[in-house]
Formats: sequence, structure tokens, C-alpha cells
Amino acid sequence: MNILVCVKQVPDDFVKVHLNSEGLPATEGIEKVVNAFDTYAVEMAVRLCEAHDGKVVVLTLGEEEAVRPSMVQMIAVGAKQAYIYKPSALGDETSTASGLAEAIKKCEAAEGITFDLIMCGKESTDEISSQVGAMLSEKMGLGFVSSVVGVEPVEDGLKVQQETEEGFAYYQVACPAVVTVTKPEYDPRYPTLKSKMAARKAVIPCDTVDVEAAAVICESYAEPAKREAGVKIQEKEAAEAVAKAMAILAEDKVL
Amino acid sequence: MSYLINEEAEDLLRDVREFCEKEVKEQIKEYDVSGEWPKEIYDKAKEMQLHMMDVPEEYGGLGLDHMTQAALTEQMAWADAGFAVTLNGNGLALKPVLIAGNEEQKKKCCQLIVDGGFGAFALTEPDAGCDASNGKTTAVREGDEYVLNGRKCFITNASVADFFVVTAMTDKTKGTRGMSAFLVYKGTPGLSVGNHENKMGVRTSTTSDLVLDDVHIPAENLLGAEGTGFKTAMQTLDLARTWCAVIGVGVAQRCIDEAVAYSKQRVQFGAPICNNQAIQFKIADMEIRTEASRQLIAYSISLADKGLPFSKESAAAKCFAGDSVMQTSIDAVQILGGYGYSREYPVEKLMRDEKIFQIFEGTNEIQRIVVGRSVIGKF
Repeated sequence: MNILVCVKQVPDDFVKVHLNSEGLPATEGIEKVVNAFDTYAVEMAVRLCEAHDGKVVVLTLGEEEAVRPSMVQMIAVGAKQAYIYKPSALGDETSTASGLAEAIKKCEAAEGITFDLIMCGKESTDEISSQVGAMLSEKMGLGFVSSVVGVEPVEDGLKVQQETEEGFAYYQVACPAVVTVTKPEYDPRYPTLKSKMAARKAVIPCDTVDVEAAAVICESYAEPAKREAGVKIQEKEAAEAVAKAMAILAEDKVL
Repeated sequence: MSYLINEEAEDLLRDVREFCEKEVKEQIKEYDVSGEWPKEIYDKAKEMQLHMMDVPEEYGGLGLDHMTQAALTEQMAWADAGFAVTLNGNGLALKPVLIAGNEEQKKKCCQLIVDGGFGAFALTEPDAGCDASNGKTTAVREGDEYVLNGRKCFITNASVADFFVVTAMTDKTKGTRGMSAFLVYKGTPGLSVGNHENKMGVRTSTTSDLVLDDVHIPAENLLGAEGTGFKTAMQTLDLARTWCAVIGVGVAQRCIDEAVAYSKQRVQFGAPICNNQAIQFKIADMEIRTEASRQLIAYSISLADKGLPFSKESAAAKCFAGDSVMQTSIDAVQILGGYGYSREYPVEKLMRDEKIFQIFEGTNEIQRIVVGRSVIGKF
């Protein structure tokens, strides 16, 4: 089973991003990491290939110098090969999906295989649009399942477990298919010291891809309004403090 | 040590830092209270190969240089001293094998570690601590075997080790030249783990007695020649002392980080206490001592890497770092005041952890003897 995982490098989502003087996200100086949902996808793909043979290939769109560390990291945790494609322009989710579709074709040609499964993270932790995976499946004309937490090969394709608001839904899809992955019940593995040292020496081919023009343009960003200071209840006696709290809640019609 | 390493090592350090912050730093707290050995944390660390940093490349290891090892070990100690002591214990056990062992012994012990095992170095005895030459454990040659009898104490990793390097007297009349070193494998009849130490600090490392009661081992388990055990042990300790200093420094760095963070958010008399010169001076002294310790360690390591003698430098690094990191932990507790004394905050643990660095791998008094004799011997 050959699996391709589309990976995006994002600013470390543990760091709170503010807007700079031009009103754009100030991400300079914030460590770049692989999008958390993409790491779940890679781990799921590696486990699938460990259980059923095959190989995991990862690709990303970006500048080689900027994204190579993330690709090295993915090789260190089990991907057999990585590819970097520089997009012809920056755009929106449609642009990204079109670039990925072309990159996947180039990747298949380079590898000499057709991927059985294409995985993306459910969303990226920077833009959080959750659209790219679905758009990619549309552009490739493939079946699609979102919010996947489990994949199992079956005779006619894949049995896919989707996480829903209420529980889980199970689907069967034909190969090749596109799925977006959410947090499964396990964590991504850490690279071993040895795998990291070896991955640093990996040859990662780079190429370019054309992308469609953006259909949607982000006009501006705004930070959430700051929370107003809360009400301090300063009565020293517990009974008085509780009475005061109840009065405030009643006044605000919470009770 | 992170500023002394190359780009590849920085990459490894980033991974180790992430692992330690996510999988060790917080999880370790309950084990510090219970004294239980956190097997699941060590299992994860082994998956990342943090237990085999000392295994040479030719025996399936990583081929890391000493400076890289020091940077990674400092980071591990930053998360938890006992965690670093445990994983570093493999290097302590492997070193005498690499110094004195034959090819087969090296291969076997390295493979045990690569496969996820632990080793233990058994030198100390109830009456032979600093005076390691006063060991009472004996090894008597009987045909193709040696028979070992005695009791070792304060043995790191004894209860989890797959192999032990045990020192024993093969000829008591020859003093230190009558001591030999042997490989004893887990499961050998007569070998058992005795009392488990309920320690003040480094509680996530396991420390126990090792009992040898008519332990028959093949003569081929002798490490090097008969009578070379003391020399092998001392050479082992030369490097072990440097690692001891590295671990202490990792804990000291955590002390600084915790104290600085607290001093910035703790407001007294209307301002953060870090604005007070009394606090600033304390933090400055903590930083100066820690950085000076790093420099002594780096010098010792650079000599070791060049194959030059470094016994004095290693003893100096261990001694200076041991005293420095202890004082730094006391200062951290002082900066946090009442909260520093509370188990709610991490620095009381760091203070308990730091004390051992003035004691094990040769007390700081012994280190001063090593340094003093080395200097006086020059004249």
C-alpha cells in the first residue's frame, strides 16, 4: 500500500501569534513545525505501511530552504521519501489544492507508482480552513472522507473510520482516495536519534508547480477583543460573598 | 552545552527537548513522590534511543561525540535528574567494557543495550565508598570459572540491569593491583538485588544493593587481565565524573529558569521581585556558577576527545559543578521563598536532587584530593 501525505509547515501553535504594525500575523521568529494534524496523518500512514507493507511519501509546497527541516523530520519518523514543490504563486485554498494535485502527479511520475491513498491533516493550525483536502479530492476526482481516525485496507478498497460529533461513522472507499485525518487515539512517534541523523542526509528532490489564481482574498485580520476585567467579590464572610455572587448572577439573568 | 555543538546536534537537541518537555518534566512528579521507577517513561526514552548514547557506531550505536552527548544529557537532566542518571547509567556500565573488554564482550554488552537493556557498574561496597580499594568482594578462580562472593551497595540500575560490571579482589595481598573486573549477567545463580535505597533525591533512578552469593561465572567474563580492575574502574570514573557534572548543570539550569520565571511574576511592594537588586545578584551568581561549571566540563571533554589525560580536569569539573549546583538550588528555593519550600513548586525537588552531585561518583572531598595530588605532584 503506497500512501502520500500532504504536509504543511506552520508556526508553532503553542506560541500565541499577534498582528504586526501592517496588520499581518507576526510569525517572524516563531519556530516552524509540521502542522499537528499532518503529523497524525503521517503516523497513521506509517502504521498502515508497517502493518500492510508499502511506503509512505510526503510532499509539501514551499521554499526548499524554509521547509526542508520539516521534511527531514517526517523522514525521521517513517516517511521513505519527501518532495518539495515551490508554488508559482501564493493564493487561497483553491490555489493550494491545485498545486497539490499537480505536485502529486509529478510525485507519482518520479516514484513510478500510483498512490493508493492520499492523506492530509484535517486542517492546518495556522489558517484552519479545513478546505484543502476536500478541494484536492475534487480536483483529482477521487472519493473523500474527512475527520478520519482509522483506515484499514479491505478487499475492494479501504474501510475508513470517521470521527463525528456523536461518535464514529464507518465508510468504504475505493482506492485511490483522499482522506483528511484528525487526532487518532495514539500520538505521533518521536524520531530516534539514529533516524534523525540519517534523515538529515536524505536527498529531497525539489521542483515547481503552477497553481490556480486565488478565488478568495483575505482582506484583513483582527485580533479577538480583549476580555474585560471580571467583577471582584470582596466580601470577607463566605455567606456575604455567596449572596453577592447570587445577586450578580440574578441581575445578569444567568439564574 | 548547546552553544558548543554543531547543527546536527542542535537538531537532535531540539527533539530531545521536545520529548523531555512533553513526556518527562510533568509526568515525573508523581514518581518523585512515590519513589516508583517510571518504567513507561524509560520505555519511551529507549524508543528514542536515549539509553544508548554511549554505544559506539561500530557496535550499532550512534557515534555521538562527547560534546553532543553532554548537551543532550544536560537537557535530560533539566527535565529530571533521576531520568538522566538512569540513562547515563548505561554509559557508566559500558565504559569499563569498552576500556578493558575483548571484542566479544564489547559486542555482547553493546547489543544488550541497543536491544533496550540496562547495565550497572558495581564498584561501591558498604566499607568501600571513597576508598574503593578496600573492597571485600572476592573472586576465586576454580578451573574455568570464577566464584564471586560479596555485597555491593548504592548500585544505580541494579534492579533493572541486564548485565553488571562487578569489581572483586582476586588477590587481596596486592592491594589495588589485586582487584579485577568481571561481567556478570542477569539471571546468574547466586546473583540477587538486595535493599532498595529510599533516597532523598534523584528518586526516579533506582539504587540498590547487589548480592553475590557463590556466583559462578565463566573465566572468560574477566574484563582485561587479572589485577587491572582498579585501574579500569578509575578510568571509568574519570569520564563518569564529567557526566555527573553535566547532569548537575542541567538541574541548575532548571533552577535558574524556574527562579527567573517566578521572580518576574511575583509582585511584592508593588513591583516584580526581579526588580530588586538582591534577587538580581542572586540570579547573576546562579548563572555565573552554572556557566563556569559548563566551561570546566567542556575543557574536560575536549581533553578526553583528544585522548589526553583529564583525570584532574574531570575531578575539578565534578567538584566545582557539584558545589555550584547545590548552592544554585538553595538560591532558587530562597528566591521562591515559602513557595520554594512547598512541594507545590518544583524547586524543592531540584534542591533534593542536587545534593547527590556533591556525593556520588566520588565525594567532592575525594575530588579535591585528586586535584590536589595532581597539582602538588607537579612540583
